[in-house]
Amino acid sequence: MIEKPVIQLIDVRRYYLVGEYLVKALDGVSLSIPRGSFTAIMGPSGSGKSTMMNLIGCLDTPTSGYITIGGEMTNGMNEAELAYLRNEKIGFVFQQFNLLGKINALENVMTPMTYAGIPHKERRERAEEMLEKVGLKDRMKHLPSELSGGQKQRVAIARALVNDPDILLADEPTGALDSKTGSEVMGLFQELHEEGRTIVFVTHDRKLGAQCPSQVMIKDGRIVEGDVFGES
Amino acid sequence: MFLENLKLAFNSMFTNKMRTFLSLLGIVIGVGSVVTIMNLGESVKRSITDSMNIGGVDEVSVMPTGSNTVFSEEFAYTFKDNVLGIESVSTYVNTTATLRNGQETKNAQVYGVTSNYFDSSSVDILYGEFFTRENNLQRDQVVVLGYDLAQDLFPGGDAVGSYVSIFRNQAKQYRVVGVLDDTSGSVSGNTNNYAYIPFNTFDQRLKSVRAVSQYIIKVKEGYNATDVATEIKSYLSTVASSSDYYVSSAQELVNMTESVTGYLTTFLAAIAAISLLVGGIGIMNIMLVTVVERTREIGIRKALGATPKTIRSQFLVEATVLSLFGGLIGIIFGVIVSYVVSSAVGWTLYFSVIAIILSLAFSSAVGIFFGWYPAAKAAALDPIEALSYE
Repeated sequence: MIEKPVIQLIDVRRYYLVGEYLVKALDGVSLSIPRGSFTAIMGPSGSGKSTMMNLIGCLDTPTSGYITIGGEMTNGMNEAELAYLRNEKIGFVFQQFNLLGKINALENVMTPMTYAGIPHKERRERAEEMLEKVGLKDRMKHLPSELSGGQKQRVAIARALVNDPDILLADEPTGALDSKTGSEVMGLFQELHEEGRTIVFVTHDRKLGAQCPSQVMIKDGRIVEGDVFGES
Repeated sequence: MFLENLKLAFNSMFTNKMRTFLSLLGIVIGVGSVVTIMNLGESVKRSITDSMNIGGVDEVSVMPTGSNTVFSEEFAYTFKDNVLGIESVSTYVNTTATLRNGQETKNAQVYGVTSNYFDSSSVDILYGEFFTRENNLQRDQVVVLGYDLAQDLFPGGDAVGSYVSIFRNQAKQYRVVGVLDDTSGSVSGNTNNYAYIPFNTFDQRLKSVRAVSQYIIKVKEGYNATDVATEIKSYLSTVASSSDYYVSSAQELVNMTESVTGYLTTFLAAIAAISLLVGGIGIMNIMLVTVVERTREIGIRKALGATPKTIRSQFLVEATVLSLFGGLIGIIFGVIVSYVVSSAVGWTLYFSVIAIILSLAFSSAVGIFFGWYPAAKAAALDPIEALSYE
């Protein structure tokens, strides 16, 4: 029996009305991402990759088409159901880290488990374990403002993984880091991939995308073959 | 989750202390004034009823209002024979007269009283003693002076045993047998400028009595003053027309005073409660600002799996904690103010527990009510827009 893909998009369209103009951010995209893959979604800015990331991340719903995440169809879900799905199946890593500034690294990592209703003791243990795994054992009690960019992104990765999600969804995770820390973080993603994590890596950087085993190119709201960057 | 929300609420409250303080000011002042008013109202009520209890809620007074001559001193003795539950009856008459000792002259109210008059009185004797029943029967020229009167006539303080002249048509010498305690500030009546002489002395030597000024009837223990007053009224209706007398009992007065101060306190507290409403708007304002400022945080929390309900309760808890905290400060503030005011005026302070409970309940209600809209606004934010908010 063939395992169902962890992410499946079937003829997904996402249109916005901006003033009087209809913007077709995604215009008929179909895509399957198998479990355990490490996929780069690449495209120049305005290509629709952010829209696609928001849809995969259950932050947005399509105008038409079907999306299944971890085998669950998201069509018709209300906000609370989408929130549960994000909590359970998706781990976000953002370019700007998006840590909660007033609480320390440990509490940041504990937050998704709070929403999952996990008891405090277990939250703490799992968060400590996860921070240790990303190499921040001795920085747990530090506020985000006391951490370097690379450390912040490691905290964010620990936070994304702590609920053991089906998908790790990274949006330009090295974009705000210098090249050395950027490649360290990239190395961490490689390790996670080797452990069997499904990773979706959204980037506009073709060199970074090339480091991922598989790539999806987007241009003008559609998936295209070949090098999208060369043409622009 | 609730504990996390509480922690977050305290966290955000103390990050911006000045702003928190200013936005809480409305609640603090509102709760503070409600607590102050209710505490002071309670204290006034108690101090009035307390002083009336000393002055005798077990007393019924009958005041002749016409010129009916039936109301003589002897009439006092008929009450006991006709009405059940009477312990004793004292009576008095009064007039103005001039008192003199050497060069010191004072105009004062002179009372002719029976010797049992002071039994039910709340006034204590400071020096000497009250005159006796024999003094009254023998029409002795003895006098008990009020505190100020004794001070004014005998600046040397040697009043007891000395003689004072009382003028009315002609001067007569009275021996001072006692001086009353200072009663200024007493709710039951200031006796400082009064002089008391035996009833019969008054009648014979000062001014002949047609009708007494008042009968003071002491009710026996175990009898209700209001009931006895009713009995007395029906007895009096057999001897005089109802326009000739007025019957009142201290108990009625206590009841009336209690209800009047009660209404007044409630009324004032209701006005003060309006400022609580204004305080609530302050809470709403600051919560709206907070929600805008923390748009990105809300976006992050939503991405991590917070449902709209979770976000709403986070901000509701925050608004409630904020306004409860304001309520607590207000209570402390109100207690301090009522303490200062009551000690300045000289009342014994009683705390109104109801005011404190009500204030806490009201300020949390204000938090929930005025926090609802900002919290709902936060819950309804679009996660994508919130995440990209700078």
